[in-house]
This record gives sequence, C-alpha cells and structure tokens, in this order.
Amino acid sequence: MSTGEAVTFWILVWPALVGAIGMVLARNAIHSALWLVLTMLSIGVFYVLQSAPFIGMAQIIVYTGAIMMLFLFVLMLVGRDASDSLIETLRGQRVAAVLLGIGFAAMVGTGVYRAMDNVTPAGLEQANAQGNVEGIARLLFTKYVFAFEVTSALLITAAVGAMVLAHKERRKGEKRGQPETMRARFYPGNYPGPKPGPGVYATSDSVATPGRLPDGTLTDRSISKILPVRELTSSESAPKGTEK
Amino acid sequence: MEDLSLPKIDYAAVAPMLILFGVACVGVLFEGVLPKAARRVTQLVLALLGLVAALSVIVWQSDTRVLTAGGAVAIDGPTLFLQGAIIVLGIMALLLIGDRAMEHGGAFVAQAAITVGSEADRKQAVKEQGATEVYPLTVFAIAGMLLFVAANDLLTMFVALEVFSLPLYLLCALARRRRLLSQEAALKYFLLGAYASAFFLFGVALVYGFAGGVEFGTIHDSVTESTQSTVLLYAGLAMIAIGLLFKAAAAPFHVWTPDVYQGAPTPITGLMAACTKVAAFGGLLRVLYVGFDGVAWDYTPILGVVAVLTMLIGAVLAVTQTDIKRLLAYSSIANAGYLLVGVLALSKDGLSSTMFYLVAYGFTVIAAFGVVTLVRDADGEATHLSRWAGLGRRSPLYAGIFTFILLAFAGIPLTSGFIAKFAVFGAALDSGEAWLVVFGVVTSMLLAFPYLRVVVMMWLSEPGESTPTVSIPGGLTAAALVIGVVATLVLGVAPAPLLDLTTSAADFVR
Repeated sequence: MSTGEAVTFWILVWPALVGAIGMVLARNAIHSALWLVLTMLSIGVFYVLQSAPFIGMAQIIVYTGAIMMLFLFVLMLVGRDASDSLIETLRGQRVAAVLLGIGFAAMVGTGVYRAMDNVTPAGLEQANAQGNVEGIARLLFTKYVFAFEVTSALLITAAVGAMVLAHKERRKGEKRGQPETMRARFYPGNYPGPKPGPGVYATSDSVATPGRLPDGTLTDRSISKILPVRELTSSESAPKGTEK
Repeated sequence: MEDLSLPKIDYAAVAPMLILFGVACVGVLFEGVLPKAARRVTQLVLALLGLVAALSVIVWQSDTRVLTAGGAVAIDGPTLFLQGAIIVLGIMALLLIGDRAMEHGGAFVAQAAITVGSEADRKQAVKEQGATEVYPLTVFAIAGMLLFVAANDLLTMFVALEVFSLPLYLLCALARRRRLLSQEAALKYFLLGAYASAFFLFGVALVYGFAGGVEFGTIHDSVTESTQSTVLLYAGLAMIAIGLLFKAAAAPFHVWTPDVYQGAPTPITGLMAACTKVAAFGGLLRVLYVGFDGVAWDYTPILGVVAVLTMLIGAVLAVTQTDIKRLLAYSSIANAGYLLVGVLALSKDGLSSTMFYLVAYGFTVIAAFGVVTLVRDADGEATHLSRWAGLGRRSPLYAGIFTFILLAFAGIPLTSGFIAKFAVFGAALDSGEAWLVVFGVVTSMLLAFPYLRVVVMMWLSEPGESTPTVSIPGGLTAAALVIGVVATLVLGVAPAPLLDLTTSAADFVR
C-alpha cells in the first residue's frame, strides 16, 4: 500500500463501518437506507483505490445513485412510518443472533486475515494490462459470455415478477369517467367544494390543528389523515373575544 | 489491443437451454399480445412443446461429451441425464400446474396484487381465471436448472442458481387459496434464499483467492498445486456447500422447507420437491466430484454429519406432523439425507445411484402432490391429516394410489423407493461409509411410521362428516398421476434399464 492509499483507506474505513452498523441499528427505514448509501460510497472509493475504477464507478453510479435512490423513492411512496415491530417472536432470539453473528464474523475475519498473511497479489498491472474496462469486457464476452447472456433471463423474470406481484388490472367497467365522477361529486351526501384549510389561531398555525367551520365547530376534514390530530386546550380553542 | 473473438460454442449441445429460454421469452411476449381467453391453452401448449423439443435434443445429443462456451458449460453424461430428468419431471409438474378441472381457474391467483381478504379478492377467488404468467416463469425456472447442472465454473453456477430461484420465489406467492400463507412462504423462501446465495458468493470469492480461478478444472488442479493458505479453500468450500445444501433442503439449512412447501401452490410444491432437488444435487455432485475431489477426505466427515442430521431431523419431525404437505416436506428433507449418503460414496456407483434416486424420488413425489391436489372440500385442499381419515372408503382408487406412493417413500420392495435406497446404501457401503448406512436404515424404519400412520388412517377409520371428497382429476392431473405411479412401479419391478443408463452416464468431464 502506498502512503496515499493508506491515508485514504484509514480515513474512509470509519464511514464504511459506521454506515454498516448504523444501517442495521437504525429504527427508521429511511435512515437505514441513507447509512447504507454512506457505506456503499466508501466502498466505491476503496474499489477505485485498488485500481478497479470500473467497478468503483459502477458501485457509485448504479448501486448508490440508481438503486438506493429508487429504494428511497419506494420507501417514500409506501410510507415512511412503517417502522419495524421490535417484538421478539422467539425469546432470546436477538441476543443469540447477535452473539452468533459476531462469532461468525470473527471466525471468518481472523481466518481470512491469517490466510492472507503472506499472499503475493497477482498484480494489478497484469490484470489491467489492456485497461480496466477492456479487461472486464474481455472476460465478459469471452469466458463468461454464456453467464452474461443468461443474466437477461434473470432481468426478464424480475420484470415479469414485479408486474405479477404489483400490477392490478382495471376492467372497463371499473374505470370511472368524467360524467360519473361529477355525478358522484354532486350526489347528495357528498360535499362538492374544496376541503377547509387548517385552523389558524393566535397560538397555533400548525397544519395539524383542525379548522373551524362558519358555525364555530371544529372539523376533521381540514386535517390530512396521516397527521396526528393536535389537541387544542380549551383556552386555545376559545374565541379570543374579537366579536365584541 | 487485439481483437476479441467469441469462444466456440457447441450450439447443439446447449440447444436444450436455448430452446427453453426462447420459449419462456415467447411466453412472456404472448402475455402482452394474446387476448386473455386464448392465453392459458397457448401458454400451456407452448411450454409443453418447448420441454418436449428440449428433451428430444437431449436424447439426440446423448453421446456428446464436451466443454463448451469457453469452458463455462460442461455437457457430459451426468449433465445430460440430469437435464433429461429435470425436463421429464418438469413436464409432469407443468401438467399439474396447467390443470383447472378441480378448481375453477386453477391453483393460481388471478391478480396477486389484490389485497388479501378484500371484496375484490373474494370476487376474483370465485370468478377469475388464474394468472397465466406462471407458465413462462416455470419454463424460466426449468431452463435455469438445466444450466445449473451443466455449469462448469462457480460463476455460471451462481447465475444459474439465481435464474432458477427467482421464478420459484415468485411462483410460491401465487396460490389461489390461503393467500397469506402463500405470500409468507414466498417471502421466507426469498429472504433465506438470498441469504444462502450470499453465502455461496462469499465462498466463490474465497475459493477464487485460493485457486486463482473459478473453473472446476482449475480448482481441481490448485488443490495440489496452490501455495495459498488452505483456510481459503476450506472456508470457501464450506460456504459454497451451505448455498447448495440450502437448495437441497439438508439440515441445518432445512428450516424453510415445511413452511414453503405448505404455503406454495401444490403443483409448485411438486415442482420444487422434484426438479429443484435434482438440480441442487446435480450442482452438489459436480462441485464435490469435479472441483473439490482432491479434498474429499476433509469434507466427507462433515458432510456425513450433515447427512445424518438431515435424515434424523426429517424422520423424527415427520412423525409429529399433522398436515400432509408438511409431512411430505419433512419426508423430502429426510430423502435429501439419503441422497447425501449416495453423494458421499464418492465413487462412480455413488454418482449413478444418486442420479437413479433423484429420478425415482422425483416421479413419486410429484404423484404424491398430485393426489394432494385432489383431496378437497369447499375451502380448497383439505391438507390436515385428520381430514384424510376414512378416505379409503370414500374413494378406494385414489387412496390406493396414495398408499402405493407412501409405500414407495417407505422403501417397500417392488417400488422404486426400495431399489433407489438399496442402490445408494450399497454404493455407500462399498466406499466404506457404513456408519451413514446404519443411520440411513434406522431413519428409514422411523420414517415408515408416519407413512403407515396415514395409510392406516385412510383405510381403517370410518369416514366422518368432515372427510372431504376426492375430486375427479382433470385429464392433465390424471396424466401426471399415471406417469408418476407407473414410473414408480416400473422402476421398482424392472429398474435395470434406468440403472444401466445411470451407470453409462456416470462420467464427468473436467
């Protein structure tokens, strides 16, 4: 390892580790994903350090930039409030899992460390003799061409699977046209106007405070369903004497 | 830089895989183009034709012994035999998948995206036809299995593993009845399967560190020549074995099996029990016999312990089961143990007897799940064992067939189960693995108990009010049942032709 390599390694090894641990420990799925992004970016730099610019860039552009961001979009769409339930179904499972996990990691880690003690690397000059990207292309399109082509089957399966599991077909009868929508809007029992805005008071103008109808009653319709209702104290909701 | 040239590919040798991948892609295309009413028949016929075409190519190519596609694919005796077996068993499973006579719309849900238990779900359960995407997905899975048993390097093997696993995860989630159970099964299978794949990949990386390559030939040579630390070799082999034993449902990597077998649509359970087992053991055989045969002395005791554990856990837990699909799942775990005994013989006999066992077991197990699809009440399949009491009085024919199948599982003479067990135990004895055979025989006797309990229940109990009726099978299920039962009988009475075939096929190329 040259000095520059060593310095970069020792700087980035901490974000990589903290990100990995944070990803596991974070309660919130979004935080988890962001920690993972940190780890992936650090690993991407490690690849570049080890003269593998192609996979390093692929790691950053494809995994971090595309896949993780897509993952975040999905989380946002599904709703980020779905945090995991932390109830153990098997007693002592978590402790056992942590202990066994640490034990396994230690075993593999020390094993590989010892095995790598006096290894002479094959040499990056040799692997990258004709350029890094060209070297990868050479392997992909000669030795592993069959596996490379078969990967397309995997992609087709994934696309079909996503459609099968997520796509709902709407029948012609189920689609509502403009006339039906309008008729339903002005149908007795439905309020056709826009929903009232949230309440604005001297003490609170949060979107979570219910608005007040012309007759003075509070209305739930002014609050988005996903927000917790903010309870007003009686002094807050009492008229402030402006009608005198 | 100089020009790259594509390695020579023997297209005739890889044609079965190409045909099936092509057929699956055309099937996906049909999903988009054809009107709904025409899809099911077209898809089924297309898939069956593709499988038959691939099988004929395999028969035509049966003398091929070649490494092709740059050494990534090995078409040799075991490959061709196992590919043929996967296709024949796949045809049987496809017949079960395609049948819609027992239940309106078949065993698959129409739209998996509809929330379970909603009004729309109740409507689609009675009215709509099952999804037809299952046919291309099944063909993709079978094609992946063909590549898996042919892969001659660990990287191709990994890609093939994913190609055949992904459709299976999906298919597990598509049951028409008890959808929550089915979705849970799919999620469990997917998460644990991804975990096992990660282990496999880790192992490949470590072995690459040891051997400097992932081809089995390179690994074989490096076992004697490499100067790297053997820790890499052993840790890598252990992790690769974990990935493969997971797919083969061997203990302690078997935990997913009962849940997934129970939750998945029954035809898919049949596909997994027969074809996935053939593929997983095909891969394991190649890894152990071709790549790592130089360290056989080191891995035999460990895999022997795994085999013993698998047989014991499968047999003991099968005794306690109350659900017929779970019982068959634990029986499938125990059978993975017997297959491992055959694998660990590490001889030509071991190879041929394991291949024979795979085929014999595959035919029987698909027929067994075929019968399970027939025993139904208003809520779908009646899988609780208590419901099977007195079935012999209601419909002697199907109870008789199931009795015969269970006797074959138990290894009674005149069934294929007996010959298969005899062959693997014989091969293991010849190789001096007597301790495995002792455990094998003991657990076989133990395992006979749950089978015979079902038999006694079917024939000696009075049918109660809750005893379900046995549906008249549609032509497709009937065909699969007939093939399975006849094969079980023929392989039990006259096993010589298939035994000869396995013996002549038992030669890996390196």
